[in-house]
Amino acid sequence: MATLLLLSTFLSYADIKNVTTENVTIAGSCSQCKEGIEAAAFEKNISKANWDKETKVAAVTYDSKKTSLDAILKKIALAGYDNKSYLAPDDAYAKLEECCRYERIGKNEVVAQKKMTDHEHDAGSIETINKAKSADADPLKPVLDAYYAVKDALVSSDGNATSAKATSLVKALKAVKMDELGSEQHMVWMKVMKDLNFDAEHIEETKDLGHQRDHFSSLSENMYKLIKSAKPSQAVYYQHCPMAKEGKGANWLSQVSAIKNPYYGAQMLNCGKTTETLK
Amino acid sequence: MMDFLKIPIYRFLAAAAMLIIISEQVYGQKIVRYDLYVKDTTVNFTGTPKRAIAVNGQIPMPTLTFTEGDTAEIYVHNELDEETSLHWHGLFLPNKYDGVPNLTQMPIKPHTTHLYRFAIIQHGTHWYHSHTELQEQIGMYGSMILNKKKEPTIPTVPIILSEWTDMKPKNVHRMLHNASDWFAIKKGATQSYSEAISQGYFKTKVGNEWKRMTAMDVSDVYYDRFLINGKNESQLSQFKPGDKVRLRISNGGASTYFWLTYAGGKMTVVANDGNDVEPVDVDRLIIAVSETYDIIVTIPAVTPGSAPTAYEFLATSEDRTKSTSLFLGEGVKQLASPLPRLKYFEGMKMMNGMMKMNGDLDDMGMNMSLNQMDMNVVMYPEITGALKSKKKDTGKAMDMGNMKMDDPKKVDEHAGHNMYNSNALSSITTLNYAMLQSPENTSLPKDAPVKELRFVLTGNMNQYVWSMDNKVVSERDKILIKKGENVRMVIYNNSMMRHPMHLHGHDFRVLNGKGVNAPMKNIIDIMPMETDTLEFAATESGDWFFHCHILYHMMSGMGAVFSYENSPANPEIPNPRLAQRKLFADDREFHFMAENDIATNGNDGEAMLQNTRWSIGSEWRLGYNDHHGYEVETHLGRYIGKMQWLMPFIGFDWRYRKMGMDEVETNLFGQRNTKDQRSVFSAGVNYMLPMLVTAQAEIFTDGNLRFQLERMDIPVSKRLRMNLMVNTDKEYMAALRYIFTRYVGATAHYDSDMGFGVGLTLNY
Repeated sequence: MATLLLLSTFLSYADIKNVTTENVTIAGSCSQCKEGIEAAAFEKNISKANWDKETKVAAVTYDSKKTSLDAILKKIALAGYDNKSYLAPDDAYAKLEECCRYERIGKNEVVAQKKMTDHEHDAGSIETINKAKSADADPLKPVLDAYYAVKDALVSSDGNATSAKATSLVKALKAVKMDELGSEQHMVWMKVMKDLNFDAEHIEETKDLGHQRDHFSSLSENMYKLIKSAKPSQAVYYQHCPMAKEGKGANWLSQVSAIKNPYYGAQMLNCGKTTETLK
Repeated sequence: MMDFLKIPIYRFLAAAAMLIIISEQVYGQKIVRYDLYVKDTTVNFTGTPKRAIAVNGQIPMPTLTFTEGDTAEIYVHNELDEETSLHWHGLFLPNKYDGVPNLTQMPIKPHTTHLYRFAIIQHGTHWYHSHTELQEQIGMYGSMILNKKKEPTIPTVPIILSEWTDMKPKNVHRMLHNASDWFAIKKGATQSYSEAISQGYFKTKVGNEWKRMTAMDVSDVYYDRFLINGKNESQLSQFKPGDKVRLRISNGGASTYFWLTYAGGKMTVVANDGNDVEPVDVDRLIIAVSETYDIIVTIPAVTPGSAPTAYEFLATSEDRTKSTSLFLGEGVKQLASPLPRLKYFEGMKMMNGMMKMNGDLDDMGMNMSLNQMDMNVVMYPEITGALKSKKKDTGKAMDMGNMKMDDPKKVDEHAGHNMYNSNALSSITTLNYAMLQSPENTSLPKDAPVKELRFVLTGNMNQYVWSMDNKVVSERDKILIKKGENVRMVIYNNSMMRHPMHLHGHDFRVLNGKGVNAPMKNIIDIMPMETDTLEFAATESGDWFFHCHILYHMMSGMGAVFSYENSPANPEIPNPRLAQRKLFADDREFHFMAENDIATNGNDGEAMLQNTRWSIGSEWRLGYNDHHGYEVETHLGRYIGKMQWLMPFIGFDWRYRKMGMDEVETNLFGQRNTKDQRSVFSAGVNYMLPMLVTAQAEIFTDGNLRFQLERMDIPVSKRLRMNLMVNTDKEYMAALRYIFTRYVGATAHYDSDMGFGVGLTLNY
């Protein structure tokens, strides 16, 4: 009996020596994930995996003298699939097929932290405290944040993301409580409110970058007027690219002083300069 | 204070203090002593045990820590059977302790002890390494941390990057000089004709060979492993979410530049080469050989209650063959994105555009400097996009994408300007030297006389000769400078490789547009076609080495000695002439190569001894019978010019062949050669033509004249090479060789003397 068992084990893994098999949970969602995971784990005569879509458990079989479970899990994570030992790099996850964008439970959001550190470098500690106080008080902060999100999506020339971020902007504009604005800002708000909504809605409606950028240009002019009318809680950089709009030039607002041009994206990301700092 | 000290320690301190007062008249200094035992060891990085050198039983060497104001006493106990030395990289110290054998001291002889004793008068991240031959490659590198009297309290980790090859470094050096393409095969960077054709770059490849270039790469040597503090992968799990950590990174690699990236967000660069800089946030940076950076990374905070994550700090070799990682924090490991492989043929296309027919580089008026324009971006998929798909909709490296422009000319102008600017091409921020700014005013004394020196970095891959102004160390006089001068150096890189140029014992200002706040450095990476301007105040005395820090470039002679006029004699150099001869021996060394093909129709091969300028080579063709004949040609030649295309030579040719009664051999000029046995002297000249064809004209003492065209090692596919030869003696030859391993290949060839044959090729 033992011999038979041994023999069968031997036969089924005739290609891999020093066989070890372990069951590990690997994140994934569809049959394309299965292919991806198994391809990442496969190395001829050294390792392979069999992943179950329902249980999310992979049986990983490998030659324990030539590799380790850790090394295989690393390869699987580099292909985009989180597991108990490794989390996939963001761009590996982003490259997965649509159906395969599983929910990333184990992952801690780095982006939020990144923003925090940015602020810390921008300003001294006293300013940080002021910021924290006035951040709650500034009724336009959600609008400005949503605007920045639209701008960043344009910087990366992503029409879909731009449209999605514009949805939040439309919401944020609607949520502004006028009575919380200072008197001067209130006046400006009354003037530009309609145009702001108009441009934001148009950016939301289309996925064509050219169209979105046209509206973004006028959106930015009105945002500038609005933000300038009261001291913003943190520095806002008013930036200009002379080449945009077929040489007419266009402006935008940014939370950082470094130029990342929303009118061209990757082609000439650094074209432009800061013309005014609002703070 | 005394109450806190136990009595014996107090006594010891008092005694030490007394000693200092008596001997040195220095007050309030602490002596920090290290004993370093340099010893042979065996390491196993790849599964095969290999020889290495360990200090105090470890690789890297122990981290030496001092505080500004200390006096360092470092005893080096050489337990090797060979000479050694230690250089304190980036330190300001008396010349005789700088640690360059045969220049600032005599080598530390086997089984002797040498004392380095100097005051620590600066702070910052530095490192130390052997300056003797190739010892740095096999373990003799370590961190040297000089703390400020008041260091910030942030947790700090010294990191030294390095690489490992199972090959003996001497053999690496020899193979580089013999233009072996074994490293390219190992890296998958052969760039052969078949690869060129399949990726649609045939014209590029032909253009490249037309300009007499062989496959281009960003680095020369193939390494088996890359290491952070001696390990390929390690974890520091003591760090908690939200912690900030300062990494004090030195690149102790012998020839590898590393890309540094971090999975937990941006990195804040706070110091470079031991000097503080205004903090700057970047997504990545490249650290040149021997450079140091202090960076601060944050372990991202987690939402309360959830498990912590470790974040990968990734160092990838510039050629992107392999990497090494350090995980910061505990828990599941968040990986950083690996850097995608290089698009070599895009790089080749770029080089073709820059290379003039005479071997000079043409920057097309871009005035490149300070790593701002990185020509290599054309090879980086993460910046310029993945390899072109079959649809050839975009001819340029950049994708015009959704851009709407009415004036295409304007786009081109703008694009051309930014074509190599990585920060303009992508949302990834890459550090360059123009972004570094010193927090202090670093300007030099105003009234001092200025001495301006201009250097052109030169070299070629074929003979692996690296030089400045086409002079190697042994061919150049010392560069005299005067104490009290401001020395300004303008350096232009006219070679195809980047060079990390390092000055001993001084920091120089890098003129990078930051005015009085120009950053201070002691090594600067200069990319091909870049011009950088550096200046320093000459405040020392003695002889200071200025050299390329790529170990194999330095050993080939890429350097110069700055010598202060009227310096007192160095007591460590009792016989300056002997020392100089030994120093010059490094780049005068001859390298041996040999190849022999044992084939069915005969035995042929060659052996060669070459150094920077000279070449002694012998070729033989030995048949298995008298009719096929036996022939040996020996040439002694000297390479001329910086590209070394021209080589006049003298030779000796011996041949024996049994010929039939009426058989007469004539050459194309009607000259006859009827002798069964022939031994003649000759004189001639080799010249490298476009397409890497060697043209040879040779005249023999019996009056015969011979012209020959030969092209060796045409890369047909990854491992297949073709040789072609024809001459006016109506001899011709064609051969195909398949490379199995570093030393073994198989050949099929046809030869006008010996006919068709197949055989086994051994090469060394």
